[in-house]
Amino acid sequence: MLKIDNLHARIGDTQILKGLTLSMGPGEVHAIMGPNGSGKSTLASILAGREDYEVTAGSIQFDGVDLLALDATERAVAGIFLAFQYPVEIPGVSNINFLRSALNSIRQQRDETPLSGKDFLAKVKACAQLVELDGKLRDRSVNEGFSGGEKKRNEIFQMAMLEPRLAVLDETDSGLDIDALRIVSHGVNSMRNGERSFLVITHYQRLLDHIVPDYVHVLAGGRIVHSGGKELALELEEKGYDWITDTPATEQA
Amino acid sequence: MNAVATSTKEAALAARVTESVRRNGALGLDTSEALAALEVLPYPTTRLERWKYTRVANLLSLEVEDAPQTALPTPILPALDAHRLTFVGGCFADGDITDEGPDGCFIGPVSEAMKRYPERVSALMEKGFQSQEWYAALQAAAPQDGGCVLVPKGTAPKKPILIRHFMPDGAVAAQPQHLLDVAENSTAEVILWYDCTPAAAGLLNGALTAHVGDHGALSLEIVQNEPGASSHIGHHHFTQGHHSNLTVRTATACAHWLRNDLHIVQDGSDASSTFHGCYLPNGRQFVDHHTRIDHAQPDGHSEELYKGLAADRAIGVFNGKIMVHKDAQRIEAYQSNANLLLGEQAAMYAKPELEIYADDVRCSHGCTTGQFDAEALFYLRSRGMTETAAHSLLVQAFLAEVLDGFRPEIRACVHDVYAQRLGWT
Repeated sequence: MLKIDNLHARIGDTQILKGLTLSMGPGEVHAIMGPNGSGKSTLASILAGREDYEVTAGSIQFDGVDLLALDATERAVAGIFLAFQYPVEIPGVSNINFLRSALNSIRQQRDETPLSGKDFLAKVKACAQLVELDGKLRDRSVNEGFSGGEKKRNEIFQMAMLEPRLAVLDETDSGLDIDALRIVSHGVNSMRNGERSFLVITHYQRLLDHIVPDYVHVLAGGRIVHSGGKELALELEEKGYDWITDTPATEQA
Repeated sequence: MNAVATSTKEAALAARVTESVRRNGALGLDTSEALAALEVLPYPTTRLERWKYTRVANLLSLEVEDAPQTALPTPILPALDAHRLTFVGGCFADGDITDEGPDGCFIGPVSEAMKRYPERVSALMEKGFQSQEWYAALQAAAPQDGGCVLVPKGTAPKKPILIRHFMPDGAVAAQPQHLLDVAENSTAEVILWYDCTPAAAGLLNGALTAHVGDHGALSLEIVQNEPGASSHIGHHHFTQGHHSNLTVRTATACAHWLRNDLHIVQDGSDASSTFHGCYLPNGRQFVDHHTRIDHAQPDGHSEELYKGLAADRAIGVFNGKIMVHKDAQRIEAYQSNANLLLGEQAAMYAKPELEIYADDVRCSHGCTTGQFDAEALFYLRSRGMTETAAHSLLVQAFLAEVLDGFRPEIRACVHDVYAQRLGWT
């Protein structure tokens, strides 16, 4: 479904990704962990089509399509969703208006008919319930004045509304208290199915207690340096990253 | 009839305009002072600070045509329950006159008010400011019919008053004069609507003179929707009494070439003025909003907010002057102007001017000109919105602060014009 091969990317003169390779199948949940500055958020941004980054080598295939040839809008239409680490506040645009525009824009580009007002509202209700987002937050300006937890719940709400094929969660757990973490995880888990894949980027093993991954990868120095099952997260929690990130250097020596 | 000398280009233009306007139909007011002022005042050029970015040299070659027979335009805001007065090319065309007698409300054309209540009208005319600007003097030299709203003490018309001025086809010159007088303890809501045919290519040089008496309140919504190629110069002058409340909202929906002068004088203490505006020129359009507020008495309050976007090769100008007179203490005056540029050839000239001669005041101004927030744009696109749709949503959000102040019918109408012009549909 997603095949990242030898990806190199930089921002300005700083090379961040240096040969990242990763494959994901449909319905799989992959977690990416790694020290600060290893390139986790860069990977998320590149997948979503942020134009600040320059891909200097490598490729990304999504369902057999060259993802790098698509712009941000086209990627969303193709079924990629990024839950932002720092969701953007957009004063003056109501959350609900924004979602209606987004959803219908996607449907139009997929040659589907727009949702009726009634169907749209029913969907809003169901998805909002999923992340316990109350009516006021749905009607307010996008993320304006939302608490950290509310912003992240709003991201998952949007994800539920847009039903992506691949969801990339960029440190969705940062800034969440225990309750919010549980709510967000519940939202994600109830969307798991055989078709939809998740790439969960996190610093902490805590999130992975709730969203149990199929695979855990360690990203360091712009590459995946170690992969394993869900138990790897526990091992990392215990031992830190040094024992892994030292390995490639040793191999090269 | 007073003739205008034609020795210079501007004098020749003044002659063409005043003669044509008189043939179309002008008000029988004493214009001697204005004619004298025309002789003395300089024609605006970019060498004058107030006209630095606003070129009116092209207007000098305008070949004025007399107004053609024009059918009544299709009504605007059809669902709105309002007193309606319609003027076409500076002449009264349609509308019911409300006349409650010498001490009552009058809503009708200025021409009729002059016949019935000359003293009420002339008292108001003296509150004008025609001696300072060449184009204002030109307007006063041959003023035409406009809406007249006289609200006596302690009353309030039940319905809003919709004054519409419509420009016909061709290079017609029109110089309407609107008069609003809201006396002590009175309230009025007025909508001033300027529009035209797509084949309009003339000069609209109009004036509005308004007075809000002590403890009175006037809410004025101005809409300019002029899809033709005419030039529009608007002179809007307001005076306010003690504890009066004035709100002026101006939405420039569409304008080929527009200069708006808006001048508010707080002549009484504890007056409050709110003036908001929005504009969105694209193509090669030009929109200039010049505002000035005079805090001449203490304890006044003013809040100004103008927001706009210039796209393609359009040019926008905002100049906001706050003048706090000596002894006008404890004034609170706030001005904010924000602009977006969409297109490398678009330009925005913004200038706040504060002159403060009192020592106990609170004044602030903020002025920004920038581009779309790239992060917000990416956020919207990452949710599947096209770049155009994302722009549209961000522009709507940007202008909402101003547009939300208008009544919903007007807001929807202005929004539709913007959407159509910028291809948001």
